[in-house]
Amino acid sequence: MTATEVIWWVFALGIVALSAGVVFSRSVIHSAIFLIGSLAGVGVMFVILTVEFLALTQFLIYGGAVTVLVLLALMLTRADPSGRAEKVNGPQAPFALLAGIAVAAVLLVAALSTEWAGTADSPASIAIETISQRLFEDFGFPFILASVLLLVALVGAIIVARQEEGE
Amino acid sequence: MLFADPLFDLPAWLDAVIRIVIVVLAMTVIVVYSTYGERKLVARFQQRLGPMRTGPWGLWQGFADAIKLVGKEDLRPKNADRWVFELAPYATFIPVLLTLMVLPFAENWGVRNLALGVFFVFAILGLNIVGILMAGLGSGNKYALLGAVRAAAQMISYEIPLVVSLLCVVMITGADTPNGVGTLNLNTIAALQEDRPYIVLQPLAFLIFFTAMLSELHRAPFDIPVAESEIVGGYFVEYSGIRWSMFQLTEYASMWGFAVFGSVVFLGGWAWPFGVDSHWAVQLATTFTKALAIVIVIIWIRTTVPRLRIDQLMNFSWKVLLELSFLQLVANGIILYYGWPQELLALTSAVGAAFLIFLIIRHASARSTKGLLGTYRTLGASSS
Repeated sequence: MTATEVIWWVFALGIVALSAGVVFSRSVIHSAIFLIGSLAGVGVMFVILTVEFLALTQFLIYGGAVTVLVLLALMLTRADPSGRAEKVNGPQAPFALLAGIAVAAVLLVAALSTEWAGTADSPASIAIETISQRLFEDFGFPFILASVLLLVALVGAIIVARQEEGE
Repeated sequence: MLFADPLFDLPAWLDAVIRIVIVVLAMTVIVVYSTYGERKLVARFQQRLGPMRTGPWGLWQGFADAIKLVGKEDLRPKNADRWVFELAPYATFIPVLLTLMVLPFAENWGVRNLALGVFFVFAILGLNIVGILMAGLGSGNKYALLGAVRAAAQMISYEIPLVVSLLCVVMITGADTPNGVGTLNLNTIAALQEDRPYIVLQPLAFLIFFTAMLSELHRAPFDIPVAESEIVGGYFVEYSGIRWSMFQLTEYASMWGFAVFGSVVFLGGWAWPFGVDSHWAVQLATTFTKALAIVIVIIWIRTTVPRLRIDQLMNFSWKVLLELSFLQLVANGIILYYGWPQELLALTSAVGAAFLIFLIIRHASARSTKGLLGTYRTLGASSS
């Protein structure tokens, strides 16, 4: 095995272990911390594939996202002063299982049916200029559409959140 | 990506290790003396002398404090979440350390010369907040929790103006490079400012960057996550000894990291005013003089401006800084697209900067706290 392969296995096993920690941990806070470890591991995978831009985006987006997730978890769960673990699973468990299997199936089909450019042995190093050209020139219109969608969601979220203190 | 010449023709990995050790050691000494310098400066602003007893003019005070802190007992509250509590200082420290790895202190001198340098700095610094949340949630203390939640809200809000103001600079680097494509490489950005620093072209972006930086560092007047008089120190209230000093180390190291970063992006880094061909010692001194100036202004503001309220803080970010940073971005885009002269960039940005300063002064001197910078709602008014 080459050094890259060893590193790949170390991080692959780490990601799996941390993801298992997310699911099986008894405390919401621990789950969130395992989650950021797992997502950071995926970021390292991107570095191994020499797509630093994606890796940094992963860190930037999920660092903030997990923070917000922790805050939401804090607000939506009851903190038990005695330190007992709160019950996370409810009657929604089978639906969660169904949704998980569906997402996994979509991802697997997408991954297996795509013709990937470059192989793991000789990953293509993509310059940031190429990415920006594709994103802002070739796919400029879909990019703007996606931004508008996000903006609408943002405004909607603010309106929903504001309503309770309207009067 | 490596810098051009390894030190003494050593193998690449050993070269990297030596560079990291140099940066970390220098950072530690600088942090020790920043605590001393801050105490001295604050004392002078308040017409006191500051530390005077330990060594001449109290020069060994920082080291004496460090030894005292290491000797203190490492306490852990009984109801703390053990591993979250103990790992939190490391989780805050590592991102700050990583950002120091990409900063160019002189021409082609830093640990790594990343093509995505600017992006790396703000992507990795964003992870800092995870450690702060861990400290707040793991301490089992309400003050710590309040501090962490305040820190999270504040840092996420101010990250957006910070990033947009940096993007403004990255945009105008495109006008200077030969192929017309902007760059995110910090070393190249510094070299492009040989003739004039980008603060001349983008004063508004610099003001926004500076304000957002104060907020990201939780320095006054944005220090509500660590407000001593309200929540007795915020997220690190339960820490003592070596772990507490790790939080302090992180705070000062990130202050210096931000100062060097700001001096590279806005003040010309090592290239301005002595040019890219000057001696490396001159370049190093130039970078650190600019960074020191930024740090001194941060301390000056801390002693002068009273702390903001949380609603004023949020309003200022979302209603003033965000809009102005987007305006700057759009104005830059129009000017660069039509290839108008660079003086126009400086002019539009200066008008924006003047407007921002006018807004701050008008609201700071207003008697009531209504309007953009914070609407004060009286308690109980909604029930009637």
